[in-house]
Amino acid sequence: MPAIDATTVSKQYGTEIALDRVDLTVEEGETFGFLGPNGAGKSTFINTLLDFVTPTEGSVEIFGHDCQQQGVAARKRVGVLPEGYSVFERLTGRQHVEYAMRSKDVEADPIEVLDRVGIREDADRKASDYSKGMAQRLVLGMALVGEPDLLILDEPSTGLDPNGAAEMRQILREENERGATIFFSSHILEQVEAVCDRVGILQDGELVAVDTIEGLRASIGGGTKLVITVDGLRNGTLESIRSVEGVETAVASEDSADGDATVEVTCTNDAKMDVVVELHSAGVDVVNFRTEEASLEDMFIEYTGSGR
Amino acid sequence: MTWQVIARQDGSVTVGSRSVKILLGLLAAVALLAGYIYPIAAPEPITTAGFAPFVLEGLRFVIPFVAVLLTYGAVASHRESGSIRLSLSLPHSRRDVVLGAFASRTGLVTAVSVASLLGAGALVVYPFGELVLDRFLVFVGLTVLFGAVWCGLGLAVSLVAATRRRALVLAFALLFLFVVVWETAVAALRLGLNAAGIVDGTLPDPAQFLVGLEPSLLFERATTGLVLPGESVAGPWYMGEWVALGCLVLWVVGPLGLAFLRFDGSDLS
Repeated sequence: MPAIDATTVSKQYGTEIALDRVDLTVEEGETFGFLGPNGAGKSTFINTLLDFVTPTEGSVEIFGHDCQQQGVAARKRVGVLPEGYSVFERLTGRQHVEYAMRSKDVEADPIEVLDRVGIREDADRKASDYSKGMAQRLVLGMALVGEPDLLILDEPSTGLDPNGAAEMRQILREENERGATIFFSSHILEQVEAVCDRVGILQDGELVAVDTIEGLRASIGGGTKLVITVDGLRNGTLESIRSVEGVETAVASEDSADGDATVEVTCTNDAKMDVVVELHSAGVDVVNFRTEEASLEDMFIEYTGSGR
Repeated sequence: MTWQVIARQDGSVTVGSRSVKILLGLLAAVALLAGYIYPIAAPEPITTAGFAPFVLEGLRFVIPFVAVLLTYGAVASHRESGSIRLSLSLPHSRRDVVLGAFASRTGLVTAVSVASLLGAGALVVYPFGELVLDRFLVFVGLTVLFGAVWCGLGLAVSLVAATRRRALVLAFALLFLFVVVWETAVAALRLGLNAAGIVDGTLPDPAQFLVGLEPSLLFERATTGLVLPGESVAGPWYMGEWVALGCLVLWVVGPLGLAFLRFDGSDLS
């Protein structure tokens, strides 16, 4: 049974379409990264999973329970770090975790949870005095209560410093090794790249790609990026590079002080030499030349806009 | 059903706030003060049954204010701040959240009403008063029901308003209508209809019934019929104490139920 199963989920606010027929299946045991720029509809999708928002069309299920009709059953085996929450005023960190434990009918020591997320020292302070990063750790701790089978995390690294983000990723890895399915959204690519088995990219409410990171790499032309420094660009040079067979994108980046220009080309491996030959025949001198493996960031830009 | 967990959490947070202590203290003070004054001021015989209509004149004002101020933010403030998202991320339904808040806040008003009325009853009985226990307990029960009505109304306001400020405005509109101007407006209506020659002296019974649906008037009629010895409510059967009691119950479940349906169907963002 899939952990998350969404069927043509749409959400419309007046004339604005926040989600457009999203079909998505997350299998048990995988770590799934939900990627997209701010405002793409990631939180709206997660809010439909939590029944904060009712989809205008379609349905979502968690472990076979409809999130709208059987919301409590759906959330029984789930730990959540939602977006746009605030902690309870007047309750300490420890009391927050105790509340989560009573709600999930779990007997355990709250301090162990707080220790795991790194705020043991602040257990008896009012959570409303916590920094954003500490609150984020606290709510992650609440989500971990009761060894959930699925973790749904909306932008989990918000407010965390690089160290905290690394600790967060470590916890996610441990949870995944324990057997939990992990579904988290982010607009920061390196975090997704670091832990995810599969990635879905959301753009303007549409799911534009779902694949493994290797699969996404393969789909953008063998995963090679050329960074070519030339003595100067002429009109039409980029167009003629793009016309070479096997070239996906060609973008001019910053000019250096001495008049040189840099061109970044993503293409299949076989097309590398053709690009250089094309530049040569266009009368452009190649000053420097290196290749890189295309990063997820290149793919991200490719899928969500500007490059196409 | 996990509303007990919410009720416990909501109750412990609510009772820790100073404004809540002041509100509940006010309610207790009114009841105890009435219990202190009644044996001094009232004509013989001094009985707990006779004390009921006396203290009712205070409770009909203080309970609506205390109950509504205690409940208007119960859901709206969590919704505005976003802490409701933490509760609803856990395996609680929206019904659990509403029931839990209703149970904890009504429980507070109930506990304080019962305790202070029993204290006031003791002041009435000691040293010269007469205790009519069963009737007095019925009155305590009616007071609890009246408190539940206003907790339900305040919570209903909290469910339909998206922010705490809007809930406060709605809550005060409700208090103003029912507690402050209702009886004056009814009197004005009667005078106007009299002057126009449409009615003669009093309003016709069905109209009496309609204007008598205001909660404190129902509370008063139920008290007259069920607590006062040898008295009954004048008028046709639908003006009687049992109908008034039924209407009070409807006041508890009706507005809250409707507001819940609206809250349950709305998006939290």
